[in-house]
Amino acid sequence: MKAPAPITARLAAVAMGALALCSCGKTGAREGQTVLTFSGSALGAEGTLVAKQLRKFSELNPDIRVELQRTPDDANQRHQLYVQWLNARVGNPDILQLDVIWTPEFAAAGWVLPLSRYSPAINEFFPATVEANRWAGELYALPWFADVGLLYRRTDLVPAEPRTLEELVAVAKRATMRPGGPKHGFVWQGARYEGLITGFVEYLGAFGGRILDEKGRVVVNAPEGVRALEFMRDELYGSRVAPLDVLTWHEEEGRFAFQNGTAVFMRNWPYAYEPMSDSAESRVAGKYAVSPMPASGSGGGRSTAALGGGQLAINAYSESPDAAYRLIAYLTAPDQMVERAQSVGQYPTRPALYEEGRMKGLAIPLGDAKRAIESATLRPVTPIYTELSDILQIELHRALVRQAEPKEALDLAARRINALIERTGMRKLMSGETSVAPAAGAAK
Amino acid sequence: MKGEARLGWTLVAPALGVIGLIAIFPLAWTVWESLHVHELRMPWLGKPFVGLANYVEVVNDPRFWAALGHTAFFTVVSIALELLIGLFLALAMNRVFRGRGFVRAAVLVPWAIPTVVAALLWRFIFESQGGIANELLINAGFIEQPLVWFIRTWTAWVPVILADVWKTTPFVALLLLAGLQNIDLTLYEAAAVDGANKWWQLRHITLPLLKPAILVTLIFRTLDGFRVFDLIYVLTGGGPGTSTEPVALYTFNALLQNLRFGYGSALSVLIFAITFGMALLYVKVLGVRLGGDER
Repeated sequence: MKAPAPITARLAAVAMGALALCSCGKTGAREGQTVLTFSGSALGAEGTLVAKQLRKFSELNPDIRVELQRTPDDANQRHQLYVQWLNARVGNPDILQLDVIWTPEFAAAGWVLPLSRYSPAINEFFPATVEANRWAGELYALPWFADVGLLYRRTDLVPAEPRTLEELVAVAKRATMRPGGPKHGFVWQGARYEGLITGFVEYLGAFGGRILDEKGRVVVNAPEGVRALEFMRDELYGSRVAPLDVLTWHEEEGRFAFQNGTAVFMRNWPYAYEPMSDSAESRVAGKYAVSPMPASGSGGGRSTAALGGGQLAINAYSESPDAAYRLIAYLTAPDQMVERAQSVGQYPTRPALYEEGRMKGLAIPLGDAKRAIESATLRPVTPIYTELSDILQIELHRALVRQAEPKEALDLAARRINALIERTGMRKLMSGETSVAPAAGAAK
Repeated sequence: MKGEARLGWTLVAPALGVIGLIAIFPLAWTVWESLHVHELRMPWLGKPFVGLANYVEVVNDPRFWAALGHTAFFTVVSIALELLIGLFLALAMNRVFRGRGFVRAAVLVPWAIPTVVAALLWRFIFESQGGIANELLINAGFIEQPLVWFIRTWTAWVPVILADVWKTTPFVALLLLAGLQNIDLTLYEAAAVDGANKWWQLRHITLPLLKPAILVTLIFRTLDGFRVFDLIYVLTGGGPGTSTEPVALYTFNALLQNLRFGYGSALSVLIFAITFGMALLYVKVLGVRLGGDER
């Protein structure tokens, strides 16, 4: 029992070692050459692009050789893999692709290095994308691409974007009542998973509520939160613009419904835009547009889009952090971002790129994308996010399937989140006392 | 004699070693882990020894008790149905008819399908839009609108239990068939001579003599039912809310999703204790019955 690493982590490390031996043998490195390992989702077109950009980086920096280590595309699996490696203190891969909600967790655990010593020009990025990568006042990752919640609408049925949530529901209702109109008014992601939280965050913002306040106190059960959840529930059982099916739906089920012309509105991510424009597959090609989710007309809230996306961070156990930062700086530079947007449709995190007219041939109109990213709101920036989300997913789902009343469900969620904060010693960390985080020591 | 005993021990030593390595050691490790706070995601908590704190947290957690209730419900209902249908199948297969061998093999097909695959099939069947189940029920006039099966607790249990019954009944039937074939046929002849009808024969000959086989089946099935995981993971994910979540899924969530090794280990130890207790109970009951039969 001497070793701090659990058996699974050590097994993972062994497997890692084996992997390193067979796939990314460092024997090819020349004398004095630094070898970096880059990891991230690298499926299909994305994989080709990443490989290409890494190769170009190596050409520009002959002293560095970069290996690409493919990790699962599924975020949960990649997360689990990273956590196991880092618990075993493995220095490979040097660069980690973090989901927008992971950075505080990795930072507080001391698994990724603070970046302020490299003084990145953070004011060149969308503020929200930078904020997501801060923990205890320090920056731990750079935003690589932005994903953002969007409201899709059928332009043949709804020419103008709805200005309020209430208008959205009314318009959706009217369109479904019309003879031959679509069956569903509004489809979204209501299954019990992370997607439910991203949707809820948008309603919450629309009503002026939050999950945690700026001091890290749980305020999800405040009146704004209850109103937001009641509004979602009313779409299912009151106005009935949303079919009950959405309570089991993820992104793709909603896209299929919208693509087959059975829905007036859809809440989804930018990825859905391009495949639906293919008239061979889609019945709505050329008949849809996107806008940010609107605010509630009741006042106090604002138009809110949940922020997702990829971040790049340096493994705290990396042997060559400086070289790793050079690669991160390269990948997050304007040219590479534009290339990424054009070949895989992922949005740049630099507002300047939306102005310069450099990004032609993009699926989503740039103005709409920029507007959505500007209204982007973070999910709680906290190291315990995953468990917090788990609690909230269950209680939201219970309220939406009518196993509990909204207020009751949110009160219970708040109580359980508070217990979680207590158990994990998060109270101190959240109130700004940074000394608990081991990573703070590494900052020197 | 002493030398022989030593030889004996030497010969069983490898087997004992293997048992120790694959059974005792992991179990002991799990118990040890369960006495610590050990959260892979929160290294700043360290790995302090906390005694029974994890167990206290488990028994104070309503989600655990609810999960235990769901597991018990699932086990009782599915096994009752499986025994009933399995007995019927076994009786049918026990009769001499042409193609009996083929039927016996065919019956086993659902059992041979991996659970995850079977669960996915049932998920498609019960999909709210375009699922066969809804279509059949609408055509038969039972419902007017398609049902969203997975958003109500009671309707969510339907596919889960159906899938388990469909998959496991063949196994139960085979175990019972083996029991049936041990019954001396002359007993039936004697009963028939005495004028007993088939129903009487079933109640007074078949069922009493089948008891050992039924008990063996019960052991296997309750222990299996208690560990149910893959079926529910795929079909309902434990939802809606957590209202179909079994203990194994709850443990998986704590251990492998939230990476709470200490707390998850405490859960594992409790599940182990419960199943072990049930196994002991069964062995005791079964031992008595078998002994009685043999005498």
